[in-house]
Amino acid sequence: MASKKIKKQDIQSAYIDYVLTEGKEPSSVYAFAKANKMTEGDFYDHFSSFEAIEIGIWAHGIDTAIEQIKKQEVWNEYSARERILSFFYTYFEVLRNNRSFIKYSMKACGPMPPGKTPARLKPVKDTFLAFCTDVLGEGLESGELTDRKGLNRRYKDVLWLEFLFVLDFWIKDNSKGFEKTDEAIEKGVNVIFDFIGRNPIDSLVEYGKFLFQNASK
Amino acid sequence: MKEQESIAASKVKRSMRFVKTGAQVGGNFIKYYSKKIVDPSTSRDELDKDNAEDIYNALSSLKGSALKVAQMLSMDKSILPKAYADQFSLSLNSAPPLSGPLIVRTFNRSFGKQISEIFDSFDMKASHAASIGQVHKAKIGDKELAVKIQYPGVADSISSDLKLVKPFALRLLGMSEAELAIYLKEVEAKLIEETDYELELRQGQEISTACAHLDHIEFPAYYPEYSNDKVLVMDWIEGMALKDWLKTDPSQAERNKIGQALWDFYNYQQHELKLVHADPHPGNFLVTKDGQLGVLDFGCVKQIPEDFYHAFFGLVNPQIKNDKDKAMALFRELQMILPNDTPAQVEFFFNLYTDMIDLFARPYRESQFDFGDPGFIQALYAYGEKASKTPELKQARGVKHFIYVNRTNFGLYNILHDIGAEVKTDRYSPSMLETA
Repeated sequence: MASKKIKKQDIQSAYIDYVLTEGKEPSSVYAFAKANKMTEGDFYDHFSSFEAIEIGIWAHGIDTAIEQIKKQEVWNEYSARERILSFFYTYFEVLRNNRSFIKYSMKACGPMPPGKTPARLKPVKDTFLAFCTDVLGEGLESGELTDRKGLNRRYKDVLWLEFLFVLDFWIKDNSKGFEKTDEAIEKGVNVIFDFIGRNPIDSLVEYGKFLFQNASK
Repeated sequence: MKEQESIAASKVKRSMRFVKTGAQVGGNFIKYYSKKIVDPSTSRDELDKDNAEDIYNALSSLKGSALKVAQMLSMDKSILPKAYADQFSLSLNSAPPLSGPLIVRTFNRSFGKQISEIFDSFDMKASHAASIGQVHKAKIGDKELAVKIQYPGVADSISSDLKLVKPFALRLLGMSEAELAIYLKEVEAKLIEETDYELELRQGQEISTACAHLDHIEFPAYYPEYSNDKVLVMDWIEGMALKDWLKTDPSQAERNKIGQALWDFYNYQQHELKLVHADPHPGNFLVTKDGQLGVLDFGCVKQIPEDFYHAFFGLVNPQIKNDKDKAMALFRELQMILPNDTPAQVEFFFNLYTDMIDLFARPYRESQFDFGDPGFIQALYAYGEKASKTPELKQARGVKHFIYVNRTNFGLYNILHDIGAEVKTDRYSPSMLETA
């Protein structure tokens, strides 16, 4: 057995199969390796723990989505708003193929206190924030978004909250073809961009500044 | 346990949204009434306009089926005062567009292909919005196509949207909830049909094939290979919207030609096919460059049941005037006069409905009819106005098929009046006239 090369994907799919059938993670790496006719060494060649397998699957999902949208011809014509929308639609399309696993893994994360990211989602968050930084940076450059100095850094955090919200919404979504998730994405992202684009509050702030500087004279 | 809780929570959230809209709407009505109390001189027209705007705002933020009902109400100008109708007609071009990425995703999911793999060119900007979807222009080779894409979630939200519209409908029509129920069911069933683009494609093909021999009328070809329940691809018909065409001040001969095409189209369907395009909204018609009538949108098609057809068009027969017993029997069959009515009620409704049928049948009773004559349409409005102020009519009367058949015919009369056409009405007339 040991002579046969065990592949990363084989371990991943055996693991997914196990947790979805049993509803919990295997009792030990030893038991898992034995049941799949490999050694613990084979397992540790690729992963340090069961959690590491899940992290890998999550990371692969978001990488696939970003790779796919950048390949689309329309990508270069898209505004920042459309790029973020495109990401969300594609990402949840990718997740569809692994919906049961995602549901399992999110449940395994336990309750999510605000401001804390579970270990399983860490690489997803890093990739997502890096992606948003790029897209938003171009949006600021093109003037689509309003430069509000210190606030700029917060934009991507708001998008991350939207990400978590949509993920949770999608997991609970019972509508046909997850149409309600589509609506949640369309409406949510549009609201965020309406706010971070130039909006009436900017005018109000400017007017306030003007009054402060001139009205008392 | 945890899962159960969260599901309940999201349900609450969902109904909160509707409660909120409902509250706004309720607030609107309070606003109108208080306005009226404070300033009794506020003209009815102005008040109606305010109402319509607010209702329209509430509805257009919902999009989908609620918007459709608004359009349907606006169709029946005889029920709605003019200001409502004008505002509601706006709802045609109002819903916010779908984002490009969602369109791209829809195609990927439906056909497993990129848009660019299907079409040689595709305009990401919607050329216009329909009530439950939007239309894009695309090209394959030299062929120009119209691609209709449905808003996500529309089919799902119909029932809840209708519940939302119910208070408006109750107020506008002044009916009780139980009585309105049979009509709303009919409307709901039709609206759900409209969200199935595969059905629309079949209906479009069926009717356009059956009507292909009619003069001066043009139908788009449909492309089943690029269509499914959410995407519908057909020929792009180049032309002017009916309203814009009328602004070019066409000659009387041209008006008559388009009007005749419209009349023939509808009456051939009603009397020969017993299957009718039940959405005679001006937005569903074009005048092409060659001066033909282009017909779009076969989402709403009403099958006219044989027994209803015979009873209803039996009333159109001029002989009926001299045969009160027969007319009475038909009114009873159509449930316009009910078994429990007192003799006084029977007499009252008999006269009321006879007037209505007289008006309705007027175009059929001559071989040529001038819809441009303001007298006719004013008589229709006046009747509608009178009916809306008749307390005896604030209860459900008439079988459910009236909704779409009336909408179709009064809609048709309205458009023909707007066009100002004089048409030959004896070409496809009710078969009842011949057997009389």
